[in-house]
Amino acid sequence: MNLERVAAPVAGRLPEQGEVDRRSVAVKARRRPRYGQWLTAVLALAAFAALVRSQATNPNLDWAVTGQYLFHPMILDGIKITLLLSVLSMLISIVMAFVVALMTQSQNKVASLIGRAYVWFFRGVPMLVQVLLWFNMAVLFPRILGQDTNTLISGFTAGLCALSLAESGYMAEIIRGGILSVPPGQTDAAVSIGLTRPQALRRIVLPQTIRVIIPPTGNQFIGLLKASALVSVIGGSDLLTKTQLIYGQNFKILPLLAVATIWYLALVSIASVGQHFLERHFSASAGHRKAAGSRGRRTRKATS
Amino acid sequence: MSTLTEAPTMLRVEGVHKWMGHNHVLRGVDLEVRQGEIVCILGPSGSGKSTLLRCINHLDPVDGGVVEVESERIGYETRRGTLYEQSERDVARARRRIGMVFQHFNLFQHLTALENVTYGPVKVLRRPRAEAVAHGRELLASVGLGQKEDSYPSELSGGQQQRVAIARALAMRPQLMMFDEPTSALDPELVGEVLAVMKRVAEGGMTMVVVTHEIGFAREVADRVVFMDQGVVVEEGTASEVLDDPRHERTASFLRRVR
Repeated sequence: MNLERVAAPVAGRLPEQGEVDRRSVAVKARRRPRYGQWLTAVLALAAFAALVRSQATNPNLDWAVTGQYLFHPMILDGIKITLLLSVLSMLISIVMAFVVALMTQSQNKVASLIGRAYVWFFRGVPMLVQVLLWFNMAVLFPRILGQDTNTLISGFTAGLCALSLAESGYMAEIIRGGILSVPPGQTDAAVSIGLTRPQALRRIVLPQTIRVIIPPTGNQFIGLLKASALVSVIGGSDLLTKTQLIYGQNFKILPLLAVATIWYLALVSIASVGQHFLERHFSASAGHRKAAGSRGRRTRKATS
Repeated sequence: MSTLTEAPTMLRVEGVHKWMGHNHVLRGVDLEVRQGEIVCILGPSGSGKSTLLRCINHLDPVDGGVVEVESERIGYETRRGTLYEQSERDVARARRRIGMVFQHFNLFQHLTALENVTYGPVKVLRRPRAEAVAHGRELLASVGLGQKEDSYPSELSGGQQQRVAIARALAMRPQLMMFDEPTSALDPELVGEVLAVMKRVAEGGMTMVVVTHEIGFAREVADRVVFMDQGVVVEEGTASEVLDDPRHERTASFLRRVR
C-alpha cells in the first residue's frame, strides 16, 4: 500500500529511470528538541556580551584614545617595520632552511651532522634569547669587518638575524619532512633516465615537496609575524616598540596595547587569507584536479 | 634463434654478488643477453630478480662481479689497472642507454603525461623541445594514449600510467629496456593492455630483460627464460625448455605453484 503510493505517477507522468521525487521518499520525523544546545548557546552569548560590555564601558580602557592612535604615523611606521621584519626573515629563513634540509639529507656525514646540529641549536634556544644574543654581539666581537659592531648591528638587524635563524631551524624540519614525503621511486625513475642524484633531488623531488610544505609554512609565517614583537625588547622599532614608546610618554598603557592588539589581529587575518589562496593555488597546480591542471597549462602557454 | 646467438652481446652479468645488510641477495649471478634478445626472468619473490635489475643500472651498487652493457662497465671504470667507482655524472651518462620500467610506474607526479615523456630528452639529452615533443606525442600515440598527453598521472589508471612509463623510457632511445614486474601492481583487467604494449616493443627489435610472473607472456614473447631462486640462476633455456620440461625440481615446483 505504502509502496504503491510512493511509486504512483505524479500528474500522469511516469518518473524516469533513476528519478524519484525526493519529497515522496523523505523520512518524515520531527527533529528532537535539543535543550542542551540551546542552553549552551544562550550562556555563551551572555558571557560574551558581558565581556564586551566590560571592555566597552571600562573607563581604564578609554577607547577614544585607542581610536586617536590607531592610525598615528608612529604606529603606521611600526607596522611597516613589523611587516618588513616578518617578510624578510621568512624569506631568508626559507633559503637557509633549504640549504640546511639538503645538508641533513646529504650522503656526506659531516654535512649531515652540521645540518642536524644547526637545527638542534636554532630550534632549541628560545627566540627571545636569540634576539638578546644578537643584540649583544658587540661584547663577543667588538669589531666586524673593520666596522664598529654596535653601529653595524642595530635593533632591526639584530632582530632580523635572530628571527631568520631561529625560524630557519623550524623551516628546515618542515622541508626535510616534505622531502621524505616524496616516494623514493621518484628518485629511482629520475636517475634511470640519466639525471644525477643531486639533479633528481633538485628537479624532481623538490618541486613535489612544495604542496606539502606550503600549509605549515603559512602557519610559520603567522607565528613569525607575532614573534616579531620580541624585538621590542631591543628597541627594534616595530609595532610593539612604537606602542611602548607612546605609552611610555602618555601612560595610556591599555588603550595603546589595544591598538597593537587590533593591528596584530588585522595582519594575522590578512596573512590567513593569503595562506588560504596560496594553498588552493598550489594544491591545484600540483595536478590533482583536472580543471586546475588545464588552467595551469593555459597560463604557461600564454606566457611562452 | 640462430641469428640471435650470432648477435653481439648487449648485456653481460658475471658473478654478481649483492648483500642487503646481512642478507646475501645475489650469490654469483651470471647472465648474458644478446642484442635484440627478449629475456624473461622468473622466480619466487625474494629470489633476487628485482635486485638484479637494480644492480644492472647501478641503482643499487653491486658488491662483487661485473656488469657490462655493450662491453662497458656500469658504475665502475678501470684506470691504469685499478678499478674506480665512477662519478655520479658518468653513472648517469651510462644509465641513459638503459630504459627502466618499474612495478609502481614512478611517473613524475607534478608533470603531465607528455612532460613525463619529454623530460629526459629535453633536460638530459638536450634535444630541441619541438623535436622531443613530436617524438613524445608519437610514443604516447603508439602506446594508445594520444588523447591523454595533458593528463597528470593521478588522473590515469594504473595501466595507463604504466604505458606512459614505457613511453618515457623509450623516449631516451635506450639500447636495453628492463621491466621490473611491470604488471604486478595492476588490477587484473589492466594487465593485458600493458603486456600488449610490451609485446609491440619486443617486435620492434628492442633488447629486453623482463622480470615477470606472467608465464603466458614469457611463453609467447621470450627468446629465453631464466629461472632464479635464492640469489642464483637455477636454469635457463628457451621458453618451452624451461616452462614445459624444467630440469630442476625448484623450477618445476615454482611453475606448479604459479599455474
